[in-house]
Amino acid sequence: MKMFSQAFRPVGSNKVDPVLVALWVAFILLAIIWIMPFLFIVFTSLKSNATVMGASAFSPPTELAFGNFVAAWNRGNFSTTAFNGIVITFIKVPLGLFVSAMAAYALAKVPMRMSRALFALFVFGTMLPFQVMLAPIFRQVNAFGLINTYPGIILPYLAFGIPYQVFILYGFFSAVPKELSEAARIDGASHFTIFRRIFLPISLPVLSALLILDFVATWNEFAMALVILQDPRMWTLPLGLMNFQSQFQSDYGQLNAAIIMTVLPAAIVYLMFQRYFVSGMTSGAVKE
Amino acid sequence: MSKVRLSLRPSTQGYVLLAPALIVYLLFAVYPMIDVIRMSFSSWNGLSPQAKFVGVANYRAILTQDPVFWGALWNTLIWTTAAVIVPNLIAFGVALALNQNIPGRSSLRIIFYLPVIIASIAVATIWKWMYDPFFGLFNGLLTSWGLSGWIMDWLGDKKIALWSVFVAHLWQSVGFSMVLFLAGLQSVSTTLIEAARIDGAGRWGVFRYVTLPALVPTITVVIVLSLINSLKAFDIVYGMTGGGPAQSTQMLAMWAYTQSMQLGVFGRGAAVSVVLLLITLVVVIPYMRWMFKREDAVR
Amino acid sequence: MKIRTAIAATLSVLAITAGLGLNSAAAEELKIWTLSFENESANVAWQKIIKEFEAANPDITISLENRSVDEHKAALRVAAQSSQGPDIFFMWAGLGLGGEFVNAGLSQPLDKYYDQYGWDKRLVGTAGSFSNIYEGGRHGVPYTFHGEGIYYNKGLFEKAGITQPPATYDELKADAAKLKDAGIPAMTFGGTVNWHLMRLMDVILEAKCGAEKHDTLMAMKVDWSTEACATASFQELNEWSQNYILSPFMGIDNSQSFNLFLAGRAAMMLEGDWLVSQLRGENRLADFDLFPFPTGTDRLYGFAEYLYVSSKSSKADAAAKFLDYMLSDTVQQDNLGAFGSISINANVKYEKVDPLDQKWMDIFAKYTKIYMNGDQAFPLDVTTEYFRVINEVASGNIKPDAAGKTLQTFIANR
Repeated sequence: MKMFSQAFRPVGSNKVDPVLVALWVAFILLAIIWIMPFLFIVFTSLKSNATVMGASAFSPPTELAFGNFVAAWNRGNFSTTAFNGIVITFIKVPLGLFVSAMAAYALAKVPMRMSRALFALFVFGTMLPFQVMLAPIFRQVNAFGLINTYPGIILPYLAFGIPYQVFILYGFFSAVPKELSEAARIDGASHFTIFRRIFLPISLPVLSALLILDFVATWNEFAMALVILQDPRMWTLPLGLMNFQSQFQSDYGQLNAAIIMTVLPAAIVYLMFQRYFVSGMTSGAVKE
Repeated sequence: MSKVRLSLRPSTQGYVLLAPALIVYLLFAVYPMIDVIRMSFSSWNGLSPQAKFVGVANYRAILTQDPVFWGALWNTLIWTTAAVIVPNLIAFGVALALNQNIPGRSSLRIIFYLPVIIASIAVATIWKWMYDPFFGLFNGLLTSWGLSGWIMDWLGDKKIALWSVFVAHLWQSVGFSMVLFLAGLQSVSTTLIEAARIDGAGRWGVFRYVTLPALVPTITVVIVLSLINSLKAFDIVYGMTGGGPAQSTQMLAMWAYTQSMQLGVFGRGAAVSVVLLLITLVVVIPYMRWMFKREDAVR
Repeated sequence: MKIRTAIAATLSVLAITAGLGLNSAAAEELKIWTLSFENESANVAWQKIIKEFEAANPDITISLENRSVDEHKAALRVAAQSSQGPDIFFMWAGLGLGGEFVNAGLSQPLDKYYDQYGWDKRLVGTAGSFSNIYEGGRHGVPYTFHGEGIYYNKGLFEKAGITQPPATYDELKADAAKLKDAGIPAMTFGGTVNWHLMRLMDVILEAKCGAEKHDTLMAMKVDWSTEACATASFQELNEWSQNYILSPFMGIDNSQSFNLFLAGRAAMMLEGDWLVSQLRGENRLADFDLFPFPTGTDRLYGFAEYLYVSSKSSKADAAAKFLDYMLSDTVQQDNLGAFGSISINANVKYEKVDPLDQKWMDIFAKYTKIYMNGDQAFPLDVTTEYFRVINEVASGNIKPDAAGKTLQTFIANR
């Protein structure tokens, strides 16, 4: 019970606060409600269709129908969609971060005319919802002949990912003391060198936070992929899941197995790197 | 190689560093925005080679003749209002609770944040299944509690469908705001709180005079972010109802998509997009001004 | 005479070069876009046919892309603007859905191949006739030919004291009332896919308006708001949905509705002939029977599905070769029952058919005319509005007497 020995004591008080205890109990209940959907999904994914339609909805599965996962994997073409997701994410995320870091460095540390206006242009982009203009994005990608290709989806992903990353990295680079770069410039180093030798290394913590965040966002993206990746062989996991849902809505067990397989990679990444999520989200949005 | 680089003027070097990001951004984000405005004044069916200029005809059509547009606009507005208030209030409460000295804080935080990292389309699929009128969780629970009179067609009944979708959105979005609030709460100085306590301030007093004022910037950010996020509502509606029943859960972003990409009336779809863009700008521009002012103040 | 020989000479030269081109080209790739069919045996048959065709024609490889209905329509629209499109695509026949793509110039006329391969000699007349309805030549070849009718659960009919299938629309409604009295929902539909419930509206329109009026309504040549039979039909639809449809139905899709039908939760389902093979897949053929929806006209509710050759395809010869293979006696005989209960090929022999298949064959033999599903008759945007109005009427949000006016306003504004 060591964990409880210090619990329920407000800041600056040594007494257990009864209000806090009551609150905590209510809170645990809320958390249980919050986690219910996951339990329900896992339960259903392990039931045969007959059990789903026969037994009560929230009873745990009696005999585990792992076959649902195998069947869903094959019917949902998961090998293809997972592969595409990996290719797109693994190219887009590092590339986007590198390009954004260069731009953020230029805006923050290189004296340029218009740098403030350009920064404002990027900030505007952080708030521009692409869901609003799926059709024109489609037209633009199509004009380059890139529908149903990896570059065709990666380029717009970059375009709408760059602003936020530039914004965050700009804030970070701006806070770096002048002396650090000034000394190097006096030694005759170019901005390219300073960026690569000094700024890139020191921004690694921010970059890794952004990397994790962007990984999940790219992995999960649906609307843009829906208009640009029309060929089932190019689909990503969310598109595969959507198609699975519209085709096999009544194969409840398999549908839920498909959901789990779609969700799992992002969930695992989150559980492994959850520290980075918080810092990645908050470093830009809530500056002190 | 390095000689060539050295010979570039510093500002030129800056532009070179900036160029890749700027070009991609201009080509694939800024240009489509201009294109959608242009397209909204033309008529194009997606099949013929040329678009035709038609003036404001598309706007007139969506505003006066489209049986779905006003409903979609209304849904977007009401959804946005609800999405700014409800999840954030819950998130604020959760964050306050998690900021207290209670056991199991980190596991609780994980539980509330987990839905955020799940693809919206998966959230849609999960909830659609829970809402299944015959074999889903909700009606199953109601039946076993002897409340079969309460059984509903959650996603098929026009009166409640939008709110059923909203609950799924709520489940997904609380964690996002919660993390932001938690970060804001970390910045509230404990010395101030202790001082207030010593001065005899109660629980409410501390909250009202110390915590809340310190959180104002965070609250602003959270509100703006959830505003913009809710204007984007697309995946979850597409996945759960596809805009149905009878277009009653249709929203502007998806109606624009439906018109352009499914019905092939690109001009009208673009006009819907422009309306939504304008609504977004009403939020974004004042926020940007506020932010830049704050930035200047900090410097 | 001279001209003729000149043409003949040119043609033969063309044929030779075309032939050479075909032979010398290293494995041409044909892209085929079709649906991912509900009926799994169709998907399996496609794979098998392609494999066999590729084995017989080593110079042609085929890639097949399957999508669900809405995605397929959207993808084709997109393909119209890019060079990524298919060589052969699936689309319904009829002036609405198929017509939209043909009129936009997305399909190329196949008159030449009809002559060259003599397809008319082996096609069932009604199935092939749709290729003639478009302007500027014959478009597409039939892939399937479907009828839709009422399937019913024999046990539930018996329970409600119904001894024989209804012969008129009024009898059908009386039976529905009998079922209701016995505590059995009469029909099941899935409302999320709008076209499922639309079928009920389609057949009611045929029953209430008669063949001719129904056609002019679907062609938008008469006013929906002033036609009494249109209003009456919406009225009927509302009555069915309030009293005789397994509720709730707006929140489920067609496959869920089929599950409920199998589970005996409702007595009837308005489905196509393909349901026979689905029932066979579930081993439940013995429990069900069927009859055409009684409308009082001499037309069957049904439609044809076609395979079109894209106008953007540069491989029309190879595409036609595949289509010829698809339509051939052997392939159609081998895959009998996989796509629908009857083949579009007239030379196919039917042996060892299940009673339900036989029922369909009798129905197909009896009817010579058909009326089409609403979403294949209307243009896309009108279809969207038609869906909305039907759903609103079914859930009681638009009064039946206002429904025609709502639809007509939309049509008039186009």
